[in-house]
Amino acid sequence: MTDTAARPRERKERLEDILVVDADVHVHESPGELIPYCEMPWRVALENIKDVQEFYLDIPGFSPGTTAYEAKFPSGQEGTRMVHNAEQMRRELDEIHVDIGILFPDHFLKIPVISQVEYAAALARAYNAWLLDKWCDPEKGLLGCVLACPQDPEDAAREIRKYTREPGMVGVFLPCAGLERLWGHKQYDPIYEAAQDAGLPVLLHSVTVIHPVFPFNTHGFETEFGRHICSHTFSMMANLVHMITTGVPVRYPNLRVAVTEAGISWVPFLMHKMDKEYVERRREVPFLEDKPSRYLKKMYFATQPVEEPENLGDLVKMLELYDGEDNTIFASDWPHHDFDHPSKVHQVPFTNEVRRKIFGENALRLFNIDPNGNRLNL
Amino acid sequence: MARSDKREREAHVVGEATDFPEGSHRVVRVGRRQIGLFNIGGELYGLPNVCPHQTGPLCEGKPPLGTLVSRAENDWRFEWVHEGEVVVCPWHGLEYHVPTGQCLAYPNINLRRYEVVVEDDKVKVLI
Repeated sequence: MTDTAARPRERKERLEDILVVDADVHVHESPGELIPYCEMPWRVALENIKDVQEFYLDIPGFSPGTTAYEAKFPSGQEGTRMVHNAEQMRRELDEIHVDIGILFPDHFLKIPVISQVEYAAALARAYNAWLLDKWCDPEKGLLGCVLACPQDPEDAAREIRKYTREPGMVGVFLPCAGLERLWGHKQYDPIYEAAQDAGLPVLLHSVTVIHPVFPFNTHGFETEFGRHICSHTFSMMANLVHMITTGVPVRYPNLRVAVTEAGISWVPFLMHKMDKEYVERRREVPFLEDKPSRYLKKMYFATQPVEEPENLGDLVKMLELYDGEDNTIFASDWPHHDFDHPSKVHQVPFTNEVRRKIFGENALRLFNIDPNGNRLNL
Repeated sequence: MARSDKREREAHVVGEATDFPEGSHRVVRVGRRQIGLFNIGGELYGLPNVCPHQTGPLCEGKPPLGTLVSRAENDWRFEWVHEGEVVVCPWHGLEYHVPTGQCLAYPNINLRRYEVVVEDDKVKVLI
């Protein structure tokens, strides 16, 4: 592979001169917004909660959160930044030098914890219709992901097929928070099949919940500090291990898989850990044609929340450990509490070539779009 | 304030004293600098409006609040301290004690403190 560390005499390209595709920004969906897009009888339930008090990613009957569990001291950072419409999103992404933003929900990050299957599926359908109608616009550089409801994989597959030819939809969002069965389970095969047929990548995204499934049984922690780490990073590791050990990348060889909001430092760990197990336990996973890290390295990893070692050169080395120059993609997570300004990743001493790949070129390949946000597979 | 001994500081008028009542905080411009001015208990404090973490606008957030500490001499019980003296960067939540400029998370981060004086009802920042 090429040298990823900056060469001493190379003039560093300015952030303003680099194409920035942001693989994870969040729209604010609320019960009231979704009412016109939701079918009966579930619309009645949304009308009933449209005026309830909202906490950060926490509305009863919509997105059960952790507010109820602990002392709520006043704080200067309440996690109340929200983006309410496409114009606001475009304006705010301009301020942080983002050209193209990939849209994820706020509350429905935790849609897997909704216990009523039909309600969850109706919410996903309403969200997808609302997202396409109100937000997705290649001209604005705002591109959506179809929310795949894990409680009803057949319906999720229908949703993916419904939006296959939409210029504004470029991916499929696989929600992970509180997920009952990990994403490697064969019940999700219809989703993978539909996504592969549509040429749309799947993107895993988690968030903090307290829920009795691994790794969200985090009630033992007294802090969000602890829950937050497990809910994102451990969830990604668990899902990827499951997907690889059930052969998802073998059975769907053209399916592109991406991981968001877990940072990148765990990727070398997982790669080596799986390869070590494989030596001894290959016959448990006889469908794998090569060591697990080969499949892991074909997946894409979003930077946010990017690790901030004192020596930023450590990030260059970290990337080299998983051959990450072609499969690492920038994400800000705007407007959430732990968003990364692109300037942080811009400070990392990559070569100009690698920096351009991470900020935009790799994501263009993942989403199969051109630099103007137009899908190349329509 | 060794720096000030080396050269004469300039007093920059940033407003009337009545613009900065007790309990208020706002960001003023002095040339290219943005400075957060806080009136805490009648004392004026000035801090740079740039968080050393990811350059967030640290003085533009909520009014200073208190915060939690936990110390051995109090058997590690949580204590609510510095009421009205801790500003929180609105980007990522790093806390700073306004009167001292001290970052609560990192002992090695101490913000520059601008001296603020009131003369003839004018508020002036000395730089």
